[in-house]
Amino acid sequence: MTDSRPARIWSLVAAQAARHGGPVSAADACQAAVAAVEVTGAWLIAARGAEAGHLMRVTDKPSELLAELQVTLGEGPDLDAAASGGPVLASDLDETEAVRRWPAFAPAARLAGAAAIFAFPLQLGAIRTGVMGLYRVRSGPLTAYQLGDALTFADTATLLLLDAQDQAAGGATGPPGAGPGGQPADLTRNRAEIDQATGMLTEQLGVGIAEAFLRLRAYAYAHDRGLSDLARDIVARRLRLSPDSDPREDAQA
Amino acid sequence: MDGELLSDTFVELTDTMVAGFDVIDFMHVLTNRSVQLLDVSAAGLLLADPRGELRVVAASSEAARLLELFQIQNDEGPCLECFRSGQPVQVADLVAVAHRWPRFAPAAERAGFTAVQALPMRLREQVIGALNLFRTAPGAFDPADIRVGQALADVATISLLQERNMRHSDTLNEQLQTALNSRVIIEQAKGKLAERLGLDMDQAFSLLRESARTSNRRLSDLARAFVNGTDTLASLNVRGSPPRPLDPSPPRRPGS
Repeated sequence: MTDSRPARIWSLVAAQAARHGGPVSAADACQAAVAAVEVTGAWLIAARGAEAGHLMRVTDKPSELLAELQVTLGEGPDLDAAASGGPVLASDLDETEAVRRWPAFAPAARLAGAAAIFAFPLQLGAIRTGVMGLYRVRSGPLTAYQLGDALTFADTATLLLLDAQDQAAGGATGPPGAGPGGQPADLTRNRAEIDQATGMLTEQLGVGIAEAFLRLRAYAYAHDRGLSDLARDIVARRLRLSPDSDPREDAQA
Repeated sequence: MDGELLSDTFVELTDTMVAGFDVIDFMHVLTNRSVQLLDVSAAGLLLADPRGELRVVAASSEAARLLELFQIQNDEGPCLECFRSGQPVQVADLVAVAHRWPRFAPAAERAGFTAVQALPMRLREQVIGALNLFRTAPGAFDPADIRVGQALADVATISLLQERNMRHSDTLNEQLQTALNSRVIIEQAKGKLAERLGLDMDQAFSLLRESARTSNRRLSDLARAFVNGTDTLASLNVRGSPPRPLDPSPPRRPGS
């Protein structure tokens, strides 16, 4: 099945980046999601690295307020999404369910102008890079299509945040224009093997799970191999990565 | 069908749902019990990701998992038809209808399966996945087995909703995504444990489940703690009967 959704979302994010002429970033994914998912505004908070806890993008004033309110009040969809590992879809903040869940935040968010909030954890299994929040001035659920797009924007933002942290640390998983990590759609194939290989690399390389994933992608990129293909070799123990070697040097070996 | 095993299974499944439970672990138990209860050799469970694709969430064997994956990647097969139509699909003899699925039928044969029963997971008007039963011998499925299989598929659907009130589609989608991410965490943990102890992935999974049960924790919580390094699962290294290592002396400093 050739699913064009990740490619379509990627082109929207890349077009957003082209507007300001800079490299593609997670903030572009956040900004592009507003029009594509038909929401009023969006915000993005990083959870790891030097930017931890920082608001990396707000698309309007209420978005900034909504993000900050949750930090101030210590409750809200962002925090629940980060804790549960799943999205929090509050399509009507006036519902008793929402008020019961966030007694302080729900009425405050209404005053800030939001009628619905959708929070997406930016994560890859145990790797957590942040949260993306979307809000609407009118209540009502996302359609199935909008939800699929929002999840894919969140996936794209996750990879871009990981790349940014890697580049800040001196790594390079690939040219930014090639797609998130140069492999926009590959994650959907043989997913289990990619996740297993990432777990194996934490042991082989003695690194954390996020670093292991970056090293897997860097190796695939440097050796011009598909991620799932490479993952299968690692899971079958046909290939081991060594903690000392730089993946870019491996490529020339 | 073994009536006692059937009642034991429902007691086990409902017990798990009443206590704090893990959706992925639950669905794994469900596929295994399907094989034991019904006259089938393997079972697999697919869930629909709102991103627009099906995902294999549990399978009773690696062969069943790969065959489910094959259908998703080749966009054909009885399990996909069941999901798309929302209706059960029964194939008593795959060889006889090979023309219907020119890629799936030979792949199933290579995996040793000749009969398939796919059962939809439905919630009102929405189809959220499918429970698929595979058999090595051709022949029609027993109607009593199909009824129990459908009940198991329904239990799997309900398990996704039970943590919170089912007010509208929001809750289902939240639970679905949480379950799909749990699957990713568990695979990451399997890889880490398999590498650490020299196990294959099935052995690593069994150990993780056993450890979760022994310590009375949710499988995904334990897996996350292990992947993040906040739980070393140290007790697993000193168990009385260590698992069979794949390679007694894995190279310490291999080249890549």
